[in-house]
This record gives sequence, C-alpha cells and structure tokens, in this order.
Amino acid sequence: MKEESQQFYHDDIVTRLVQFSLVWAVVAMFVGVYLSAELLWPELDFGQFWLSFGRLRPLHTNGIIFGFGISALMATAFYTVQRTSHVTLFMPKLAWFCCYAWQLVILLGGLSLLAGWTSTKEYAELEWPFDIAITILWVCFGVVFFGTIARRKIETIYISNWFFGGLIIVIAMLHIVNNLAIPVSIDKSYSLYAGAQDAVVQWWYGHNAVGFLLTGGFLGMMYYFLPKISGQPIWSYRLSVVAFWAFTYSYIWAGPHHLHFNSIPDWVQSLAMAMSLILLAPSWATMINGIMTVSKSSAKLHNNPALKFIVMSLAFYGLATFEGPMMAIKSVNVVSHFTDWTIGHVHSGALGWNAMITYGVFYYLVPKLAGRELYSLRLANIHFWLAVSGTILYILSMWAAGVSQGLLWLSIDELGQLNYTFNDIMAGMKPYYGLRLIAGLVFLSGTILMTFNLFMTIRGQQTVKVRPPAVTMANGVTA
Amino acid sequence: MTGNLLFNMLIHPSKVFVDLSQENDATMASIARYSLLVLLLPPIFSWLGGSQFGWRVGGSEPVFFDTTGSIVFSFFYFIILCVGFFGTVVISKWMATTYEAKVSPSLHLSVFTVICAPLVAASIAHLYPDVFFNVLVLVPALIWSVRLLYKGLPVALGISLDQGMLMASSLVGWLLVAAVSLLGICVSLWTNGARALLGI
Repeated sequence: MKEESQQFYHDDIVTRLVQFSLVWAVVAMFVGVYLSAELLWPELDFGQFWLSFGRLRPLHTNGIIFGFGISALMATAFYTVQRTSHVTLFMPKLAWFCCYAWQLVILLGGLSLLAGWTSTKEYAELEWPFDIAITILWVCFGVVFFGTIARRKIETIYISNWFFGGLIIVIAMLHIVNNLAIPVSIDKSYSLYAGAQDAVVQWWYGHNAVGFLLTGGFLGMMYYFLPKISGQPIWSYRLSVVAFWAFTYSYIWAGPHHLHFNSIPDWVQSLAMAMSLILLAPSWATMINGIMTVSKSSAKLHNNPALKFIVMSLAFYGLATFEGPMMAIKSVNVVSHFTDWTIGHVHSGALGWNAMITYGVFYYLVPKLAGRELYSLRLANIHFWLAVSGTILYILSMWAAGVSQGLLWLSIDELGQLNYTFNDIMAGMKPYYGLRLIAGLVFLSGTILMTFNLFMTIRGQQTVKVRPPAVTMANGVTA
Repeated sequence: MTGNLLFNMLIHPSKVFVDLSQENDATMASIARYSLLVLLLPPIFSWLGGSQFGWRVGGSEPVFFDTTGSIVFSFFYFIILCVGFFGTVVISKWMATTYEAKVSPSLHLSVFTVICAPLVAASIAHLYPDVFFNVLVLVPALIWSVRLLYKGLPVALGISLDQGMLMASSLVGWLLVAAVSLLGICVSLWTNGARALLGI
C-alpha cells in the first residue's frame, strides 16, 4: 500500500456528487414550481394520478432534501474530512458505492412516490424497501467518514467534522426509529406506533431532520468553507464548539412544537416551546461567529460570488432560526399553524440558507476541482440577485397569505360560528400564490444559470489531483 | 432647496449619498427633518384607508375599525415604525465600528431616511388597504430600498464596496428578523386580547 503522502485525495467522488446535487436541484425545484402552478390551475394534473399534488409534493421535498441536500453534504463532507485530517478517504470504493447507490435509491424512490407508494409520514414518505436501502447506505457513509477520521494525521477533530459526524449519527437514529414498521406488501407498511405516539415520533424525526441535516450538516459546510473563502480563521473557535454541544442538546427536544393544540400532553407542547426558545442561543451564536469571521475579510466580494452567497445565507439563517422559535410560541402558533406562513418559514431556510450556502460552496469548489476559473462571473452575479429577490418575494408572499389565513380562520361571529368558510379563504389566496409562482420561477432560473455556468466550468476537465500535505509536529497525531 | 432635496432623495439618491459622505451639517439636518415624514405618513395613510374602505385580508367582507380602534391601530403602527426605524439607526451605528465606517448618529439617521423614502412613498397604497394590493405596491418599493442600502451605504459611510456589501447584508439580516418579530408581536397581541380591545 502506498504511503499516505504518495496518494491523492479522492476528489473525483466529490466532483461526481456535486454534479448529481446540481441535477437534483434543477429537477426538484422544477417540481416545486410546477406544484405552485397547480395550486393556481389544478387542471395542470391533466387527470393523471402521478401528476397530482399529493404525489408530486413528496417528490419535491424528497428530491430537495435527499437528492440535492444529501448529495451536497456527502460531497462537502468527503472533501472536508480529507483536508482536515490530512489523509485520503477510508475505503474509497465504498465511497463510490455510496455516491452511485444513493442516486439510484433516490431515483427509484422518487418513481415509487409517483406510483403512489407512501408511508404518509412527512419527509419520510418512502416505503420500507427504500428505508432499508437508505439505512445500509447511511451506514456505509458513516464507515467512510468515521474511518477517515480514525486515520487522521491531525490531532484536533476540526469543528466541521463534529457537525458532519452529528449529522450521520443523529439521522441514522431518527431514520431507523421513525421508520420502524410492519410491512404487509412490497409497497405498503404500517407504522409500529399508533395515534398520538406515532405523531410524536414522526415530529421528533421531522424536526430533527431539519435540525441535524438541514441545519447541522450545512453548518459543517459553513465552518470549513467560510474561513477558506474569506481567508480568515473562525472568529471564535471556542464559541463554535460550545454552540455545537448546546445545539445538539437543545434541538432534540423541540419536535412536539409541530403538534401544538393537538392530542398530545400539554406539558410536552410547553416543553417543546421552551426548548425551541432556548435553541435560539446556539443558533445565533453560530450566525454571529460566521458574520464576525467574514467581517474582517479582505476578499473582494464583487468578484467572489461564493462569498456573496455565503454572507447572504447567514442573514437568512439568522431569520429562519429566529422565526422558528418564535412560531413555536403558542400564541403565535395558534395563527401560523396550518397556514402558508409555515411554508414561507420553511423556504426562508431552504432557499435562503440551504440553497444559498450550497451555491456559494459550489462556486468555490467547482473551479478548484476543475482547475480553471469560473466560466462566467457575470452569470454568477446575475444568479446572486435572482436568488435573493426570489427568496424575499417568496417569503413576503407567504407571510401575507399565512397571516391572512390564520386571522380569517380564527374569525367567528357572536354565536361562535366561523365567519369565513375554508373555500372563501382559499379563493382569496390566488394572488399570493401567483406571486409565489413568480418567486419560484425567479429562483429556479438562477439555479439553471448556475448549473450551466458550473457545467461549462468543468466541461472537458479532469478533477485536479491533490496530495495530502506533510504533517508538522505541532499539529500531528502523536504516535 | 427643500423640494429639490425631496426630489433628489426619490429620483437621484446617489447624489444625496455623495452629499452625505461630506458630513455637511446643513444637508444632514434637512434630511433628518424628513425622518418625521417617514414615521408619520404610513400610519396616517393607514388610518385614512382603514376608516374609509376597511381592511381586506383575503375574505370577501372588509374589516372596519371604529374611531377609537382605528386611532389605536394607527398609533401602534407609528410606535412600531419608530422602534424599527430608530432601532435600525442604532444597529447601523453599532455595526459601523466593526466595518470601520463613519459613526456619526445624525449621518446614520439621514442615510436611513433616504433608504426608507421609496417605502414611505409606496405606503400611499395604505389608502386602499387590501393586503394583496399593498404587497404588490410595497414589494417593488422594498426591492428599490434594498438596492439603495447596498449602493448607498459604502458611499455615505466612506467604506469600500466590499465592506459596504458585508455591512448591508448584516443589516438585511437584522431587518428580516425585525420584520418577522413585528409579525410575531402583532399576531401574539392579536390573540392575547388586542382584537377584543379594538372591538373587532
């Protein structure tokens, strides 16, 4: 076996995962735009079951979370763990298996959703054969990641790896527990839990998937790439470690705030509300750490789309992590729950935080992997403003729609009868849904521009080969 | 001069930002006077619209406030605007130290008066208080104001374009949080009795 310093980082796996992530971004966002058009013109399903809102919606969410999101997280985790450990990937063939098999599972899983296979659990709709496949692949991902950490030449486990490690461990736990079910046929299973218990387990899963995947995983990305791109060390490394543990401790309790005013014990709801409010502290500690890191940067933003996207993503991260705890307060939740305000909140995180930080990282990573300059800086700058305006328009339209819905649903006459029927209220939503459709189109067009830009950057290029650097006595692992 | 300044704030804001960068006391004093308009005009338009046409929040029937209710509503709107506007000025001055920008409070007050000018002009939409119509008018005005924030901040505060972009993005973060806080506070007050107090 070759000496470590004689080997190359396995960056070709990273390149392929980035490409898959881009494909999923375009496909799943297009499905989202199509869904928003269906809310305006329901006849767009053309009478086909597979084009109905109920089947396309989980395809959109699963495509974004598991296709776009996890492919990007696998890519950045593999890239980061090699460079912060100064070793190549452990079991690279297994990493390749993760890369391709994951895409196959998401593709077949997506088709199964269109065919009507569903467990009915939000963000966990895939049926049991896919759940088992995902479990196996996730364990493989963990073996590659933790195996690389175990072989590291650097004593400290860098903070990004703590977040990526947290992602792998917690998502494995959530996925297995929430998907425990009794299969009755190849395409149908029933949850092991019943009634309110099932709901609590489901939202323990759902909220912590948001926490450890869409927040924690992407914070791992942020902590490696923000200092790299801005040319500054993290403002406070100690704060990042404290925030990691506080985040890990407090997030896991907050799930039942999705079940306010439902048939679960009142104290569970109140505890979830309290823990959601506490969660604001570690979330904002991380945001402040990011903003302060970049504040002293001498990097030129006007020709650095990567940094622009990451800086803006931090602003939306601040919004989403403030809005979430606020919406967990019962007196706010009574209005916001079951309205489009929730959809606006989710997208302030998904578009403003997850997508924008990923775009920023890709604008940095792809030219590095391809060994050439970005194809078009101008297109990247146009993309930036399309992404920002699309996100803001989306959020504002859903805030207005959601607050209108919430207030009208609570409106009763002196006899306690509803003043407005569900149909009356939804008939008034069309203008907001029109704005949301425009917002989605604007954001999607930016994503397509980026995909073209990055495709032209990497076209015809082999992934640049990089060797792990020599390890000095100061930071190396002692034998 | 005054009419000219108002015209420039809306049509040629870049000239005003250049003037402000000189920290000319007379210019800053003139602009600061307009901050009163920033705070007063939207609640006045809202009061007039609410009492004449009633608020339409998506349902078929407009919601009318009685005289006391509409005055209380507009007064709270004024208070919220004051907190938001002066809060933003204070935050901007606080951030200025980090980004090595000028820290004069009157300069920051003037800069944000200019940035808010398009929004104040668009608040005339409150005269017809249909939520969708207001969103339609205020969103382009908001985009224009955000553009002024990014373009004007580095010029007026004497920092590089890159630092200006960082500071503007941090302020966008603050403004987004302030906006959603406002939404949360209003909804919370509404469900905790403000609705009954207003007689709706």
